[in-house]
Amino acid sequence: MIRRRLCLALVAVLAFVVAACGGGGSSSSGPTEIAVWHGYQDTEGDAFKSLIDQYNKAHPDVKVTELYSSNDLVLQKVLTAVRGGSAPDVAYMFGSWSPNIAKIPQLVDMAGVVSQPDWKWDDFYPAERQAATVGDKIVGVPALVDNLAIVYNKKLFADAGVAPPSPNWTWDDFRAAAAKLTDPAKGQYGWLIPADGSEDTVWHYVPMLWEAGGDILSPDNQHAVFNSEAGIKALTTLQQMAVTDKSLYLDTTNENGPKLMNSGKVAMLVTGPWDLSSLSDIDYGVQVMPTFAGSSGAHQTISGPDNWVVFNNGDQKKKAALDFVKWLTAPDQVKAFSLETGDLPTRTSVGTDQELLAKMNEKLPGSATFVENLDNVKKVRPTVEQYPAISEALGQAIVSVMLGKEQPAAALNSAAQAADTALAGK
Amino acid sequence: MRRLGHPESLAGWALVSPAAVLIGIFGLLPVVMSLTLSFQHSDLLTPETPWVGLDNYRKLAEDPVFVEAIKHTIIYTALFVPGTMLVGLFVAAAMNRSVRFISVYRTTAYITMAVSTISQGIIFLWLTDRDYGLVNAALNAVGVSSQPFLASPSQALYVIVAMTIWGWTGFSVIVYLAALQGVPAELHEAAAIDGATAATRFRTITVPLLGPANLFLVVWLTINALQLFDEVYATTRGGPLRATTVIVYYLWDRAFVQFDAGYAAAMAYALFVVILAITAVQFRIARKHVHTS
Repeated sequence: MIRRRLCLALVAVLAFVVAACGGGGSSSSGPTEIAVWHGYQDTEGDAFKSLIDQYNKAHPDVKVTELYSSNDLVLQKVLTAVRGGSAPDVAYMFGSWSPNIAKIPQLVDMAGVVSQPDWKWDDFYPAERQAATVGDKIVGVPALVDNLAIVYNKKLFADAGVAPPSPNWTWDDFRAAAAKLTDPAKGQYGWLIPADGSEDTVWHYVPMLWEAGGDILSPDNQHAVFNSEAGIKALTTLQQMAVTDKSLYLDTTNENGPKLMNSGKVAMLVTGPWDLSSLSDIDYGVQVMPTFAGSSGAHQTISGPDNWVVFNNGDQKKKAALDFVKWLTAPDQVKAFSLETGDLPTRTSVGTDQELLAKMNEKLPGSATFVENLDNVKKVRPTVEQYPAISEALGQAIVSVMLGKEQPAAALNSAAQAADTALAGK
Repeated sequence: MRRLGHPESLAGWALVSPAAVLIGIFGLLPVVMSLTLSFQHSDLLTPETPWVGLDNYRKLAEDPVFVEAIKHTIIYTALFVPGTMLVGLFVAAAMNRSVRFISVYRTTAYITMAVSTISQGIIFLWLTDRDYGLVNAALNAVGVSSQPFLASPSQALYVIVAMTIWGWTGFSVIVYLAALQGVPAELHEAAAIDGATAATRFRTITVPLLGPANLFLVVWLTINALQLFDEVYATTRGGPLRATTVIVYYLWDRAFVQFDAGYAAAMAYALFVVILAITAVQFRIARKHVHTS
């Protein structure tokens, strides 16, 4: 008797706990609610919220709710939510995760959706479309695009009597300028590179590799080819600047770039448009990346397009989520968001709008150069699920060369071996 | 004598059951689930998690980075635990007296515990910066050349040791201070009358009576040292060149950067066994040598 009562008590407690964890279910009446997870804060956050308000007002049958979630951690959170059966309807996800995201069963494959003419899919920049494509799947719709260019401190160049970067610069010119702009007595460096060995390090090296005529993987994505002549040439340039000239500040903690640039301790950064707003204390210019003399690679850069990813939480929500994403990424909204935030337009029709470019440049000098530089995005990183392992191996190789621990060829060869092992294994 | 069926014990069970159920769900269940995970291949993305037997553990034994991570963790623990205890004992002994403003000093000593590890990491990043840090400015002032500290594969781990000793000293000060105040004054008086110097009294009376505090600190600090993560994440992200990759950081990297959750779970279990073994050894040694009364 008593035992049974005890069991009942335990069951009651358990039921309470389970109910508490279950969260509220949605009622079938009233507007369809869809949850959007994003990483926008400050200006971007305000602009994004006003877009959502605008959408909600025009669509009384749908209620879009937004939830801020740090971009760096959103994948872990989404994975947890998907496993728990409470995935967001729409989430902002880094493009580099695409191959992994493609494996989530609840993901809505956009391939059949964006092919409809009213999505104007071809209006998105080619690199964005490529980065969203994994095999025959399209994992999301471009949410943000950026690229790398030289941002330089005009005053430091003038003080050192060095001509500012020009579109005709080769990496030799870049190296010579960086050396002249380095002054150990003042703690001043010509260039700074993130050197924590993460993807942040790797994606500064990759456009140099492409410009030198190389690539990361073979065309069939079966093995690593970054240990080519081109790869060695690109890494040797970094080695010469870091080890021989000591004109390259190695930011091993990956925290210091914009701060040191803004305080006039670093003359050049290779960075994206997101850093411009942190450079309020200096007069800066923006220029496309240098080329390698005699290489067919010419001007290139790298882009890290991020996506709006839709998860399937039932037909009704899915339909509402797709409609919202289509509206959010349509030219009018892209234009409004770019104008408000300075983020680069994700669509070519908006990116070639001269009036918009002039306005953006006025708000944030240099923006227009970054928009134009989108045309120099000719390749994307391979969308294979082993990319994190490849990036890790390559990152360690680059850092070990820049720290003077290894020679470029040897470091790249052992990284290529590790990458091949990752590609061969499943 | 009481059995489960006794009404009073039933009431007891009813009272603890909410906590017990919560601990069961959020504490014990994950422990069991991660054990099963360690025998599976899981990328956290796909629902299929095929059984792979002992593969993850076998991979662990052959992974050079894991071996390195163990080495770093051992070096770190071997320096951090005694370091924190010695500095803590020194500060506590200095504060175990009645002088003016003693409560201000005691609060100051403990305040490092209130600083979040992330802010602490950022502060140390700037203090130890190769070109712009205060530490190097001080070194330059006395004629020593600038050191790369956290930017150097050969120095970074030791900088993290110093940083965490600074952060944890407040904790060991509190424990030691409490223990020191529990040392009976009459023992010191008696020894002083017999002609013992302050140093002798500290060595022969105070130190033996600190046994329980020592045991607690050794066990507590060792467990924390073996689980080092935040400070590494906030400063070096395991670098440069993996020089500060410790076990838990590597585990996090495998699970959430490389999406190999089964492998990471195996690593967690290896660490669990190590912590269990070390703690057991510590208690065994303590039973012989620590004076408890």
